Amino acid sequence: MKKDTEVNMMHGAGGEVMGELLQTLTAFKNNNAGGIGLESLDDGSTFTIGGKTTVLTTDSHVVKPIFFPGGDIGRVAVSGTINDLAVMGARPIALTCAMVIEEGFPITDLEKIVASMDEALGEVGAAVITGDTKVVEKGSLDGIVINTAGVGVIEEEGFLIRDKNLSVGDKIIVSGTLGDHGLAIVSFREGFDLGDQLKSDVAPLWTMIEAAMKAAGTNNIHAMKDPTRGGFAACINEMARKAGVKVVVSEEKVPIRESVASAGSLLGIDPLQVANEGKCVMGVAPEAADRVLAALKNHPYGKNAAIIGEVIEGSGVVMQTRIGGERFIEPPLGDPVPRVC
Amino acid sequence: MKSGKIILRGIVQGVGFRPFVYAQAQRFGIKGTVINHGSEVEIDAAGEEFDAFCREIRKGPKMSVIDSVSVEPLHDWNPPADFTILKSQDGARTGFVPADIATCEHCLHDIMDPNSRYFGYWATSCTDCGPRYSIIKSVPYDRERTSMDEFPACPDCLKDYENPGNRRHHAQTITCRECGPKLSLLKGTGENIEGADPISAAAELLDAGNIVAVRGVGGFHICCVEKTAERLKQNLGRPNQSLAVMMKPETMRDFVVEPTKEEWDLLKGPVHPIMILDKIDPESHRALSQLHNLGVMLPYTGLHHLLFAKLKSPLLIMTSANAPGTPMITETKIIIEKMGRVVDYILTHDREIVNRCDDSVVRDGYLIRMSRGFAPLRTRMDLGDRQILGVGPELNANATIYKGGFLITSPHIGNIRNPPTVAYLEETIEKLTSLTGSMPKIIAHDLHPQFLSTRVAQELAERYGATLCPVQHHCAHIASVTTEEVVGIAIDGVGYGEDATIWGGEILAGSPGNGYMRTGHLEPVLMPGGDLATKFPERMLYGILPTKDTLSLLQNRGWNDTALRILAQQTEKRFNTPVTTSTGRVLDAAAALLGICRERTYDGEPSMMLEAYAARGVAQPMEISIESREGRDVLLTSSILREGMEMLSDGISVEDIAASIQTTLAKGIADTALAGIEKTGIHTAALSGGVAINRSIRETIIETLKEAGVACLTNPRYPFGDGCISCGQVVTAGILAKEGRI
Ligand SMILES: [Fe+3]
Ligand SMILES: [Mg+2]
Ligand SMILES: [Zn+2]
Ligand SMILES: [Zn+2]
Repeated sequence: MKKDTEVNMMHGAGGEVMGELLQTLTAFKNNNAGGIGLESLDDGSTFTIGGKTTVLTTDSHVVKPIFFPGGDIGRVAVSGTINDLAVMGARPIALTCAMVIEEGFPITDLEKIVASMDEALGEVGAAVITGDTKVVEKGSLDGIVINTAGVGVIEEEGFLIRDKNLSVGDKIIVSGTLGDHGLAIVSFREGFDLGDQLKSDVAPLWTMIEAAMKAAGTNNIHAMKDPTRGGFAACINEMARKAGVKVVVSEEKVPIRESVASAGSLLGIDPLQVANEGKCVMGVAPEAADRVLAALKNHPYGKNAAIIGEVIEGSGVVMQTRIGGERFIEPPLGDPVPRVC
Repeated sequence: MKSGKIILRGIVQGVGFRPFVYAQAQRFGIKGTVINHGSEVEIDAAGEEFDAFCREIRKGPKMSVIDSVSVEPLHDWNPPADFTILKSQDGARTGFVPADIATCEHCLHDIMDPNSRYFGYWATSCTDCGPRYSIIKSVPYDRERTSMDEFPACPDCLKDYENPGNRRHHAQTITCRECGPKLSLLKGTGENIEGADPISAAAELLDAGNIVAVRGVGGFHICCVEKTAERLKQNLGRPNQSLAVMMKPETMRDFVVEPTKEEWDLLKGPVHPIMILDKIDPESHRALSQLHNLGVMLPYTGLHHLLFAKLKSPLLIMTSANAPGTPMITETKIIIEKMGRVVDYILTHDREIVNRCDDSVVRDGYLIRMSRGFAPLRTRMDLGDRQILGVGPELNANATIYKGGFLITSPHIGNIRNPPTVAYLEETIEKLTSLTGSMPKIIAHDLHPQFLSTRVAQELAERYGATLCPVQHHCAHIASVTTEEVVGIAIDGVGYGEDATIWGGEILAGSPGNGYMRTGHLEPVLMPGGDLATKFPERMLYGILPTKDTLSLLQNRGWNDTALRILAQQTEKRFNTPVTTSTGRVLDAAAALLGICRERTYDGEPSMMLEAYAARGVAQPMEISIESREGRDVLLTSSILREGMEMLSDGISVEDIAASIQTTLAKGIADTALAGIEKTGIHTAALSGGVAINRSIRETIIETLKEAGVACLTNPRYPFGDGCISCGQVVTAGILAKEGRI
């Protein structure tokens, strides 16, 4: 395929094409502050203050539509950053909030967004402590862009969790049903009337992850990541690739809501390839897996958690299908390209 | 006395070359030696009739292919007192190994002759027949480098082997009941059934309605008689797919239309492929095939012949033992593990299948699947000095390697979509490179960014330090037909286009060296739901004809409101509706329109069913609309389907409409090609792509072109479908490399 000379929408879709753009955007020589740096492309990065490992992350949010079943852009903006801290094992402490707002944006909507952000912060005991606002001319952006950055701390030695440390024998756990956010947004935005109203899963996961970490004990959650853009498929492939291992997932065990599965099959969309905003994927030492699963299930956001597979030697991600076959779970390219003849 | 060193290059292994030379030496009183260097035979010869000897030698034995012969003088050489065959040595590996060969007449005679020591022995073979590629581990082809190495010849076999007067003189696969591989009959669960003759017992079990897995040359078949067909299809989870059958030649007239002489030659020749033949009554034997035709083959191993000698039923269903889209099973322990619940019994043997090889399939003299007997296929072509690998596309794939003036294409591999098939592709590439002793410097692959074969190419390129060369799918189709400048017609199901849409009905003018210009194509239409539209062809119908009429048609067929509403919304909003110019999708939509196929349960089902209906119908004239868009000629397929829909409401028969749509589409494609010919002044056409397997479409295109005075090239040595892609990839890369462009 030809290399693109201009940025296009595929570059932002979280698939393989985006990886190409990232090479350009991460070409910093000054990329590390004495811990995990930009080079790792992890969920967040670390540096040390007063002997404490501190995690920093940032994310900009554009969601169409701004309000949707199960949440809104404000809840996504706070949860996204909190979850990026949480999947590194860090307790979220403080967030920044920068908004770029299009001329003509309703003030009442801003009120709702801020209230929603506040509610999500409250769930995990974090706070927005600084911010910035820019208003731009009508037409130069679509509604609103919210950027949040977050700082978290690793409270105990041995609880910093990377996304690259899956090891052979690990159980793969997902904290709940997959594909909810992506299919809810799509069907709501496009006005698809699917009979059942799909709801986004957007939620801040720190308290759930904290409970899982406590149940696991030190060093037992080997790797963790949140399956946002590109969905579970992109997330698990990235984890497997970074660790140089193969992941085998059992189709039967993957939790997917019936309404989400049926929406996916009506539209030709694979729920494993669309975003989640309130889920995490973990690789857990086999002896700790049941404890972690129980802790997750005990939390309202982890009720549908499941052990869905394990890590073996090799490469790639393979799904054992219900009918006894095997297929690859591939990272989405951005846009699906038909291949059946 | 004249003498000289004769060197013959080509396929000279596994074809009884040295015994052939020996026999000629005896005939002409020649003294000296013969040795096989892998892909060349070297003869040091002296005698009064040296010239006559040379003339005969040049002809080679039946299965050999001789590329070149040279004769050099021998100085200071004292000929020995007799003529001897020397042991093989490793050497140049351009000649490659021959394909597997069906049991010859003479061996069949031996097997059936109570006075022969081969009487009733299932693995009987000779220099003219028997397994080759499927048992070879490395070259040169000698018993110790095949899976026959575990069965050392007994004194009697050794005597035949060493006897220059014997038909099995130097036959590497020589074996008998005493020394050779043995059969056993197992329950599906793997327990051995002791006692009785396994073949008689299996025949009895089959006649009684059991399903038996039978280990053949290149893999396992799953077999049963006709009355068991429904249960077999149920067990396999393939309710609609046609099943290939094996029968004796004298039984065929009860089932299918008499083959032509060429077809008989092929059916009975060294290959013994599955041949798709028209049924006498299209509606008959629907349990075997819902189509108007049937895949038939003749018994091709000693085991098959012996089984048929005992069997009461006139035919055996013989379908490859595999899960859909995965490689055929070759090992007994795997058949027990994976098929234990599908089959009741297993008839197996203990000769290892080193290289898997499915049955080849032929129709109308064209290859549909190139495998046992045809492949590895060797083609002479000068593409320069660099070694090139083509990894093929994704579906119906094989691999091709180029080295030193020859293309060598592997047997059919399958759909490169799941771990076992990807592994099989990698194994096959490994095998091709090691048998030919090559290290590809250029690796050609499909343009599709997500094909797993592309990933394999990338990994291999890194390992070999090779250059990658992406080749567009339909350009590869045309390049596999000819390297000359042509107006190519590539009609198939799917291929990634240069504009990132899905191509599949393309007129491409040019040559592999200069590239192809897309002068025309089918109308770009939507695929609602992407790949989902190939599974449910009614989605495709709506993608092409997004009208109220289509919606009410689907509603009458029982689509639920939600699904219908979403289909309409999705199409209107263009949400997950990739754009395609595929010919296969138009045929799918036509099958959907006529209610012939609503859900695809196997590859190609809707278009094959459409063809079966069309075969019983009479085509009526329909309008052909070609429009110019951005300088390209676009055949409006929506207009053809719209007219088909009108005919349907006028009460015209489904068969006639099917025939009309096929013919009009074919004529329209030919007209679009003719427009390209007009535009470019290139006066030869070339046809490729899986849709060309459809007899009526292929013949209509070729006929229409002929009427306009344009010759249309095809390449009968390669399949129309994607089995030609790896070849087209290598040819394209080779020509670019020769010109120094990669
Ligand atoms: Fe093709
Ligand atoms: Mg993240
Ligand atoms: Zn023979
Ligand atoms: Zn013997």
